[in-house]
Amino acid sequence: MNNEVVIKCENISKTFPTADGTAFDVIADFSIEVNKNEFVVLIGPGQCGKTTLINIIAGLEEATSGIVTVGGELVTEPDPKIGVVYQETNLFPWLTVMGNVEFGPKAQGESKASRQERAQKYIDLVGLTGFENQHPNKLSGGMQQRVGIARVYTNEPLVLLLDEPFGHLDAQTRYLMEEELEKIWRQERRTVLFVTNNLEEAIFLADRIVLMTNCPSTVKQEYIIDLPRPRDITSREFLKIREEISKNLDLTS
Amino acid sequence: MATSNNIKKKKTKPAIISEDQITKKQSTLYAFISFAVVVVLWQLAVLFLPNFGNIFPGPYDVVALMIKIVKEPVGRLTLFAHLGWTLKRIFIGYIIGAVIGVITGLAMGTSKLANAIISPVFEILRPIPAIAWVPMAILWFGLGEASKYFIIGFSTFVICALNSIAGARATSEKLKGAARMLGASERQLFSKIILPSSVPQIFAGLQISLSASCSTILAAEMVRSEEGAGWLILRGMNTGNMTLVLVGLIVISVTGLILATVMRAIERKAISWSFRGK
Ligand SMILES: Nc1ncnc2c1ncn2[C@@H]1O[C@H](COP(=O)(O)OP(=O)(O)O)[C@@H](O)[C@H]1O
Ligand SMILES: [Mg+2]
Repeated sequence: MNNEVVIKCENISKTFPTADGTAFDVIADFSIEVNKNEFVVLIGPGQCGKTTLINIIAGLEEATSGIVTVGGELVTEPDPKIGVVYQETNLFPWLTVMGNVEFGPKAQGESKASRQERAQKYIDLVGLTGFENQHPNKLSGGMQQRVGIARVYTNEPLVLLLDEPFGHLDAQTRYLMEEELEKIWRQERRTVLFVTNNLEEAIFLADRIVLMTNCPSTVKQEYIIDLPRPRDITSREFLKIREEISKNLDLTS
Repeated sequence: MATSNNIKKKKTKPAIISEDQITKKQSTLYAFISFAVVVVLWQLAVLFLPNFGNIFPGPYDVVALMIKIVKEPVGRLTLFAHLGWTLKRIFIGYIIGAVIGVITGLAMGTSKLANAIISPVFEILRPIPAIAWVPMAILWFGLGEASKYFIIGFSTFVICALNSIAGARATSEKLKGAARMLGASERQLFSKIILPSSVPQIFAGLQISLSASCSTILAAEMVRSEEGAGWLILRGMNTGNMTLVLVGLIVISVTGLILATVMRAIERKAISWSFRGK
């Protein structure tokens, strides 16, 4: 039923020119498909081109070869149907929480009542009720990341790309945010491609985990995670899967 | 392990107030003390150092003269009228220069085309000190007020344009990317991202050019005028009245202070988001 492919990367390669004139192959022949409302986690070592890949899917960077389609259309430039959240929250510091969250629909000319109603819904959903009129620099890192998530949800994108969104947070806040994100996703299903280098986070969130190789990176292996949600990270099944994947995972870099 | 760290992290509040911060009351008190000390030392020097009073009139004489010329005119005008003239000249020239400068700078910082067209001319004009225009300005605009507005306007224009260029160029690519991802058009990218994120830099330019305006107006008034702080100083110099020179200095200082205070208040309002825990 859910096998409609929404994100499709076909044979993506990316080469950066380097200072000494040689070419640096970051991504080589990378293909992946993400189905409608599927939560796919991409995991791989640092500096192996994960962010580059996200930027290519988001239309912010061009692939050296290969094509990306989202919702059946070729991606050539940033598009509101592709929502991205990075590790740096990229919130607009001069706008309040509400101003940030309603930015997308406001720019696209949606009426104030309608966009603010939806913005409020997601502000409530990420647990920031009461902070609508604060500026981002008054919020903690975890709260800022929540604003980023509410902002992207309010824009109602077809797909969500999350690039190590919790990478800056301390472990405790990180667990909390993972739980929240998973809860939000269960309430508001979306097609998600989530990047991390944390295996526990990957297994906690993913329907499917895609393991990346070192540079030039490509798909090493895929794992379907069919544990019931919400998952217990201390359960035997969880630890077993974790053990199995970690044998195959080389996060050193 | 990591856990103990995190618990600690959670409990410590962000340090909004740094250790050596002093209260507003304290800072007013210190300002008053330091001001009083300077005035007292100054008066003592006049009283006890032989000859000092001749080259540097004391605070008593200065204040006495100021009180006197509040009512009695020096030249054509009384003290506050002189102050008013200088203020008005800076204000008008400054506004004109700031508006043109900010618009030009933002255009140059945002559009490569605008930059390619404007920057050759701008680069030639930029190093010219504003007072170098005095003869030209008088030739073009006559001896009246317009030539003074032009000179102030020019110096403000250059400084504001430079800062606005820098502000626009420093706009984070990541914020621009985020805005495009959320559906902002090219025009909205300018009005919603580049413009607000340049505001702190624009205000830096507005503050610096305000100080520059104070020195420029002084020069302009000393060259040619019948009123204002510059004229008071020149008149004092020509008549050997050092007390009047000092009054002129105080007038220009107060002018600068008034304008800078107003500007700072506007700035605080405009970029309150960048003042943490104000
Ligand atoms: N614009 C660029 N020019 C040159 N090299 C780049 C550029 N962007 C990224 N790289 C390089 O590509 C590699 C992969 O980067 P990135 O995609 O950020 O990795 P990851 O997100 O997996 O940590 C890094 O070694 C980085 O230095
Ligand atoms: Mg990265």
